[in-house]
Amino acid sequence: MLTIKNLSASIGDKQILNNINIELPFGECLLVTGQNGAGKSTLLHAIMGRPDITVIGEINLVSEELHKLECHERSQSGVFMVHQSPPTIDGVNTMSLFKEIQKVQNVAGSTGDLIKLSKSLFNWIGLPEGWEKRQFNLGASGGERKKNEIIQAVYLKNKTRVLLLDEPDSGLEQSSRQKIIDLIQETKNLNGCVLLVTHDKELQELYGANKLDLSNA
Amino acid sequence: MRKVYLDADSLDLTLVPTRPEYEFVFIQTEGRCTANIKLKPFADTKFKIKIYIYAEGDSEVDCVCTLDIPKDIGGVETDIQIRSWPFDKSKIKARPEMFIKNSNVIATHGNALGTLKTEDKYYLASKGITDYKELVKQSLLNA
Repeated sequence: MLTIKNLSASIGDKQILNNINIELPFGECLLVTGQNGAGKSTLLHAIMGRPDITVIGEINLVSEELHKLECHERSQSGVFMVHQSPPTIDGVNTMSLFKEIQKVQNVAGSTGDLIKLSKSLFNWIGLPEGWEKRQFNLGASGGERKKNEIIQAVYLKNKTRVLLLDEPDSGLEQSSRQKIIDLIQETKNLNGCVLLVTHDKELQELYGANKLDLSNA
Repeated sequence: MRKVYLDADSLDLTLVPTRPEYEFVFIQTEGRCTANIKLKPFADTKFKIKIYIYAEGDSEVDCVCTLDIPKDIGGVETDIQIRSWPFDKSKIKARPEMFIKNSNVIATHGNALGTLKTEDKYYLASKGITDYKELVKQSLLNA
C-alpha cells in the first residue's frame, strides 16, 4: 500500500499542498482532480521526489520511507512517472537511454533483446521507423513525447509498484487512449497502484469511483 | 558518413566533400587530441559537417575545422556545427574557421556546449539515472 500522511508541499515560498492524506492499496487506481493550479502535478512530483519541492510529511510504500529517498532511489524502488512535458535530453539518443534504464532498473535480458523489444514497442505505439536512433525527444511532438513515456512504463510494468500518470492522454490521438487504459489495468493486475491526473472526461468517468479532489488542498 | 575517434592523439585530415553529410565524433578519456579538419570542396557542392566532442577526466581536445574556398570555386552550400561536452576537469577548444574568397557561397556555422538543465536532470533521476556523462558517451559511441 502507498500511504501518504500529513503531506504538505511548497515550491519556494509558495505552499501548494496542505495536509494531504492518502491510503492507496496495491491493485487500485486513484483519480486526482482539481482545477488548474490545485496541485495535482505537484502531488505526483512530490511522490517522485522532485528536488525543488519542499515536502513535509510522510510518503511510505509498505514499510519503505520514500520521503527519505532521493528521486533516483524512489525510481529504483518501483515508482514510475509518466511526465506531462518530457524534455529533450541533449546529446542522448533514445536507445542509449533505454539501455541505461535497463541497467539501472536491473531488467533482465541482453542488449539484443532490448533493441528487439523496444523496436516492437515503438511500432506498437505508432512511433516512426528509426525512432531509437534519434536524439531523445528532439523535434518530437507532444504526442510522440507522451508515447515515449508510455513505452517506458510498459517496459517497466513488472517492476512498477506506483505508477504516476500526469495527463498521459494529452497530445495523444483518441486511439491511444485504450493503451493507457490497458497500462493501468496491467499495473493493477501486477499488484501495483496508480495515481492518475487527467482532463479526459472518459478516463475521469472510468476511474472516478476512487477520487481525490485537491480543489481545497 | 560517420567516423568515431576514441582517445586519438592527432588527426590531420583534408576532406573533399562528395556526400551530403559528414559526422566526426571525438571521445577523449585520457591524453590530448589535436584535430585539424580541412574542407576543400569542389564547386557546386552541398554538404553538412557535424562534429561532436566528448572529453572526461583531465583529457584535452583541440579541434579546428577549416573551410577553404578559393576565388574560382562557387556554388558551395555548407553548414558546420560543433557540439562539445567537457566533463570533469577536461578541456575542449573547438572552432570553425572559414576562408571564403568567392561571393557565390552560402556557409553557416555553429559552436555550442552540451548542457543538462535542472529539469533534464530531474527527468533522468525519475527514470533512475544519475550518470549523464556515461549516457552521452554511450549515445555518441552507439548512434
